[in-house]
Amino acid sequence: MPAENGSESKDRQTSFDISRRQVLLTLGGLGAAICAGAATWGGLELMVSARQTVDSWNKAVCRFCGTGCGVMVGMKDGRVVDVRGDELAHNKGVICIKGSMLPELTRIQGRLKSPKIRRAGKLVDASWDEAMGLVAARFSQCIDQFGPDSVEFYGSGQLFTEESYTANKLFKAGIRTNNVDGNPRLCMASAVTGYVSTFGKDEPPGCYADADHADCYFMIGANPYECHPPIFERIRQRKRANPNTVIICVDPRRTKTAEHSDIHLAVIPGTDLLLLNSMAFVIFDDGLQDQNFIDKHVRFSDGERDVDQAAFQQFLRSYTPEKVEQELGVSAGDIRRVAYLFAKSPATMSLWTMGINQRTQGTFLNSALNGLHLITGQIGRPGATPFSLTGQPNACGGVRDTGALSHTLPGGRLVANPEHRQEMEKIWKVPEGTLSAKPGFDAVNLFRAMEDGRVKAVLIMCTNPGTSLPAAGRYHAAMEKCFTVVSDPLEDSETQRHAQVVLPAALWIEKQGVTGQGERRYQLTPKLLDPPGQARSDLQILVDLAARLGHDKLITARTPQAVWDEWREVSSHSLYNFKGITYDRLAKERGLQWPCPTEDHPGTARRYVEGDDPFVTKGAGIEFYGNHDKKAVVYLRPYVPSPEKRSVEYPLYLTTGRVLEQFHTGTMTDRIAELHRATGDATFDLNPGDAYRLRVRTGDRIEVKSKYGSVIGQARTTEASLPGVIFAAFYDAKLLVNRSVADNYDPTSKEPEYKVTAVSVRKVTV
Amino acid sequence: MNIDFLQIVMVLGTLTCVLGVIFCVRTARTRFDQVEAPNKEVNLGIVRVPPLTFAKLLAFASLIVLPAGAVFLANYHTFEGVHEVRGCASCHIMLPMVNDMQDPMSGTLAARHYKNRWIAENQCYHCHSDYGLGGNLEAKMTGFRHLARYTTRTYHEPIQARVRFDNKNCLNCHAGTPRFEAVQSHKTAHERLISNQMICLNCHGQPHPTSVQRTPGSNDYARLTEKMK
Repeated sequence: MPAENGSESKDRQTSFDISRRQVLLTLGGLGAAICAGAATWGGLELMVSARQTVDSWNKAVCRFCGTGCGVMVGMKDGRVVDVRGDELAHNKGVICIKGSMLPELTRIQGRLKSPKIRRAGKLVDASWDEAMGLVAARFSQCIDQFGPDSVEFYGSGQLFTEESYTANKLFKAGIRTNNVDGNPRLCMASAVTGYVSTFGKDEPPGCYADADHADCYFMIGANPYECHPPIFERIRQRKRANPNTVIICVDPRRTKTAEHSDIHLAVIPGTDLLLLNSMAFVIFDDGLQDQNFIDKHVRFSDGERDVDQAAFQQFLRSYTPEKVEQELGVSAGDIRRVAYLFAKSPATMSLWTMGINQRTQGTFLNSALNGLHLITGQIGRPGATPFSLTGQPNACGGVRDTGALSHTLPGGRLVANPEHRQEMEKIWKVPEGTLSAKPGFDAVNLFRAMEDGRVKAVLIMCTNPGTSLPAAGRYHAAMEKCFTVVSDPLEDSETQRHAQVVLPAALWIEKQGVTGQGERRYQLTPKLLDPPGQARSDLQILVDLAARLGHDKLITARTPQAVWDEWREVSSHSLYNFKGITYDRLAKERGLQWPCPTEDHPGTARRYVEGDDPFVTKGAGIEFYGNHDKKAVVYLRPYVPSPEKRSVEYPLYLTTGRVLEQFHTGTMTDRIAELHRATGDATFDLNPGDAYRLRVRTGDRIEVKSKYGSVIGQARTTEASLPGVIFAAFYDAKLLVNRSVADNYDPTSKEPEYKVTAVSVRKVTV
Repeated sequence: MNIDFLQIVMVLGTLTCVLGVIFCVRTARTRFDQVEAPNKEVNLGIVRVPPLTFAKLLAFASLIVLPAGAVFLANYHTFEGVHEVRGCASCHIMLPMVNDMQDPMSGTLAARHYKNRWIAENQCYHCHSDYGLGGNLEAKMTGFRHLARYTTRTYHEPIQARVRFDNKNCLNCHAGTPRFEAVQSHKTAHERLISNQMICLNCHGQPHPTSVQRTPGSNDYARLTEKMK
């Protein structure tokens, strides 16, 4: 380029000259661009805020099963629009299909909106004053005329703790009867007697988080895939992360849980104590026991007196795998294999529920399971624990812990123990001798007492015994004979058909209260909605009843928080001490596990373990402080066959249970369209082979008959039912399978045996 | 040597930018009124053009064609590049999600999909498929907002998703498979799942580390925010 040219170089200079105008223009342009960007950003921020689908997320607890999942409830314009699993709660954000449908629960059809009194055979609307006046008058009349033991409270593992506590106090310290029981008797009484006999104190020593650490899961008489889905999901996550993990399932059905297990032992219904004793035999025979742990922490007993280890081993000789395999239906090889895995896995977690508890040998089975963990030292380490799963959201916290059962008092105390009664009289500030020494009626015997007139009036709260009791036909008649009062959020339950007075109750987040799920964790459900019509919380009903019966000086705590504070204080006089679990903490934290004596205590994940449990002596490591010698007890528990044995007349076993999409007697879940569609009406499920032999096909109507009653329903053939076993879910009042379920119960826990009934099956041709 | 498509795009983009700058300088130094000798045509290989035409063509290329090309290639690279996991990991705020996904001991949904090779590549994008060049307007708007927040550091940890996760991301792969169809609840809740009224995550668990784990000072924070190797 010719650079020497003067004019050109000048020109070139000019071409790069930037005038003031240009600078301003450039800056202006830049400024405008920045402004446009910022305005877009600002606009987007506003848009995102405006497009939120919920106004607020509120921490609550699922209404349904005993897993007690933390949920976040999304509210918009005063309505529940969304429910999600709470990622910070123990369930780590996992809930199930039932929990996902919780928004529909708040708009459910068939809510009771007004009290009703039966007049000329029909339930008609009445005012609260009329209804409660009538209830109080009839209760007073019965108490005056026939004594306090002629009335009863039949509660529920679905009431809030404040409600169960208040009912228990009103009846035991006010009316002076121990006739306080409830549906937890039907589902976990055997777990209570099992834990109490072994550890001296009720409630599981472990926690759900143990499922994150176990290497062997021994699931017996439980179907968590369907009944506690978030817990099974947790187990499967552990398995996916650590493929060496072994899942063992013992169940007479090929359940969804069994399908997803590594080993399925299909025992014959009613025989599994043979398996547990045989496993114990193999453990000692092959030297798989943890002798060091046994020497330090275990005592043996035959139920009457202490015995030595040799006596225990001698007792087990009748249970060699070869001796039991025939009756049990599991091969000797499988028993040995499972015994080894149980004893020698780095950490073994047992999980059981109704298959073990709802048995005539429920207590024995529970203590045998606890025993297996004790002889192998599979306890007190992360992942090693005997865990009884629970079925209802507040059976543990509300009923077991508050002692709202006919033989118990708060904080693990017993009615039959005079010292315990005195302690409670002092704490409740009632005169000595107020608490009756006579244990009240347990669930089954209560209804029998209603049948023969010993109990004249009963208050049934938040449960549906009309569908859930065994031999249901018999007890429907019993309810007719009695002055039956039912408090329920929903109308038309099987129980209400036999009631004289029906009271409309608040449901789930229409009232505030604490629930305690299966791992000793207390969680708060806030009040987010108003109940429909005239419905009231069960606590309000109880407080009203107390006042009308003249016990307003006893029942001074009348709001959920006041009751909770009283109960917290009461607990501090026991090894259940959770004085540190205040409402404030519950509102902020994702539930707390007791013991938790002070407000700065983080709660106890693993009980009896030093560092976790505040009651363990320093330096002890593990200490079973519930028993006087600080040792846990392993019992010699002989197998006794169930009274329901297959025969020529009744050649099949009937067993009952839950299904994934339905909770309990289905009064809530079966009203939610999606859940109802998922399950349809309940059927009798039988093995295709059995069906072929009986000339029955899916869709045929069959009669299932036992000694206790007969039920006609639709048959469905499925491989989930193994030969010789029929299954029916109990949620469906239309089928009402409990009409044919055996009326036997465990002599210690008084829990009925729903799982074993000998039946015959016949095709109904009409 | 393993050269993927995006790398070629990146090289092309860089070349375009360099070429654009050279052309611009050249154009700036050209005095169009003094371009002479119309008979000295410039040979462009297939056609011979007069110098003025060449200068104008050069100006057009440097001011319009090349910048537009560069913008297109850069956008393409950005939008396609973010499909890759390392694209996501390039923002500090996304490290916990990525680190957790690649942790074989983690049980989160992301980690399980990753370690079991249920998704072979672009694992983030597979479940968050609303961004990228073909993504929807909402994702673009949210993305712009996130970019603004991130570059101006006007966010605080732990970050929380404000928009609802679209079930379609799950259903695209899972719906219709025998395992999916075998679950009765999937059939009955079909409408709710399609319309996002019920989220898949409710039953199938935690997708990423919890907000507590992602809070600075938590036990897991240091591990989760480690720079990717």
